Amino acid sequence: MPLIRASKGKIMQKKLYIVPIFLTFFSVAVILISLQLDISPEMIVGDSMQARTFPIFLMAVNLILIAVLSLQFYKNYPKRIELEHFPTWFSMFLFLLFYFLTVTTDMFIGITVCMFLMGYTWGEKRLWVNACNAIATPGLIFILFDYVLRIRFPRGLLTNLYYG
Amino acid sequence: MEVAISAMASVFMDPYLIGLIFATTILGVIIGVLPGLGATTGAALLLPFTLTMEPVQAIAVLSTIYVSATFAGSITAILINTPGTSASAATTFDGYPLAKKGEAGRALGIAVVSSTVGGVFSVIVLCIAAPLLARVAYEFRPPEYFALTIFGLSMLASISAGGAVKNLIGGIFGVWLSTIGAERVTAIERFMFGNYNLYEGLSFVPVFIGLFAISELLVQSKTVNKVMEIIALKAVKLPSKEDYKRIWKTILRSCGIGTFIGILPAEGATIASMIGYSEAKRWSKNKEEFGKGSIEGIAGAEAANNAATGGAMVPTMVLGIPGSGTTAIILVGLMVHGLRPGAYLFTEQVEKVYQIFGSMLMANLMFMAMGLYAAKLFARISLVPISILWPIVFALSVIGAYALQQSLLDVWIALIFGVLGYFARRHGFAVAPIAVGLILGEMVETNLQHSLKMYDGAWWMILAQPLAAFFLFLAFLGLCGPYIYKLITTQKS
Repeated sequence: MPLIRASKGKIMQKKLYIVPIFLTFFSVAVILISLQLDISPEMIVGDSMQARTFPIFLMAVNLILIAVLSLQFYKNYPKRIELEHFPTWFSMFLFLLFYFLTVTTDMFIGITVCMFLMGYTWGEKRLWVNACNAIATPGLIFILFDYVLRIRFPRGLLTNLYYG
Repeated sequence: MEVAISAMASVFMDPYLIGLIFATTILGVIIGVLPGLGATTGAALLLPFTLTMEPVQAIAVLSTIYVSATFAGSITAILINTPGTSASAATTFDGYPLAKKGEAGRALGIAVVSSTVGGVFSVIVLCIAAPLLARVAYEFRPPEYFALTIFGLSMLASISAGGAVKNLIGGIFGVWLSTIGAERVTAIERFMFGNYNLYEGLSFVPVFIGLFAISELLVQSKTVNKVMEIIALKAVKLPSKEDYKRIWKTILRSCGIGTFIGILPAEGATIASMIGYSEAKRWSKNKEEFGKGSIEGIAGAEAANNAATGGAMVPTMVLGIPGSGTTAIILVGLMVHGLRPGAYLFTEQVEKVYQIFGSMLMANLMFMAMGLYAAKLFARISLVPISILWPIVFALSVIGAYALQQSLLDVWIALIFGVLGYFARRHGFAVAPIAVGLILGEMVETNLQHSLKMYDGAWWMILAQPLAAFFLFLAFLGLCGPYIYKLITTQKS
């Protein structure tokens, strides 16, 4: 409710700081993790740096830059960012589906299914065109990588049939 | 000198290499005309295919993609008002209006000639400047290298899209990524979270494929309903004598601008073409024609963006500091094939270096022929539906990420960095600084460690080294110069 009662400007301002807040959170997390890293004996490191020093230094610089960025955001509103369309979210979902199919079945099944669904969602409604693209492309790439580049693909349902 | 000439000549007498460069030029032009698929994405996708090649052939393939795709972006910029690559954005300002007047062939002819002159000029400069710079770099010690990499990182402030602060944040994130894995001196594991596949650190190839190819795929998913219209093109015309009289000064000026900007660490063809265009306008007697189809505008932008390709190779090969996203990938290509960039490359592998330069020269001549005789055909390729094209890019990306180390972890890394790169770009953070930061990260940390050891922990001694102090001063100027200048001009006014 408070969000509805607030002025439009304030709502925008809240959204505006999501990026600096996320970056700050990330930088602080890195610093905290770095502080947990082991310390090397003096005889190894000598006058040089400990393993934790460099990442902490980087994130300290990052925090300064984030402060400058926040100031810039405060002075000039950045352009409003449009929400993603369905194909973008679905493409990201396809990455997850690809992971699932690769782990459970076969990498090439994952590629074929994802290519087919991606083509369909992106506007190619002719199923046979999508199917040809989704089957022929991974097939050709497999032949090229297997015969020419001698690359062995991870075992799965299809590659087991091929490799024996 | 003799070695250089004979090495470059050997490229022109090697039928296999000529065939390879010819095929790659066609591929590069295709990649360049396909909107969204620029030189960087193309090079990232092709890198795994070069694994089994000889080093010279592999780098020839990557550099040919670089020069030919940079040129080819102008074809779509002129014919469909959509720059195939960001480096051709300035070409749309005058190329498309001229094409709309029914002079598409003339516009393309000027773009082809200007690009070729720019490219050849920059390769000549590369052949002369790189060994000279290598001789200077030969004397560099860790403090100088540390200061130089800081200078390179400071130049990220102006690389590609996004504001200076956002680019620097991206660059620092990239440097942090380079700290993942076992620390080189103490072997302490950093940010691995128990995953020993990350012991050697993040592999560059999957990260680059994710940042450039997969993130671009997600960006392109927003344009699924975009309809493109192609302007009719009868034939590409070589510029007339009158045209040459008008543009030769512009081309020469842009050659100089493009090569110089390319040489600056972390600057690239996009900035070069914008400056080339604006300088062409500033010096032109026909300023009113700009934006309405000026041939000087096309020549200024095109000569500059291709001149930047050779220039960007200078810091890449001599200092190991990439001049752009694409040269970052070429740098990875050099490392994968055992050619460690730096001054020693010019003393120990001098023949291979000049063969690579020779390949770039040949690629520049080949895309001229293709631009003149096959632009019409290539323009048609740009109309391939993205619903067919981008699923293919997806397949090439995941298999390419897998190929280098034959590890599925690399595939997941590519996908994660693809999504990360997409959200970064969505919020105005360019991905090229992350890539450059990742490459320079190890150099920064290692050289700082060595410098501290040299001076018993007295870090201020780095500032006492004249060359290191000079580079750090340049870095300071690069970062704070624009703000100081703004402050002074505001106070004066």
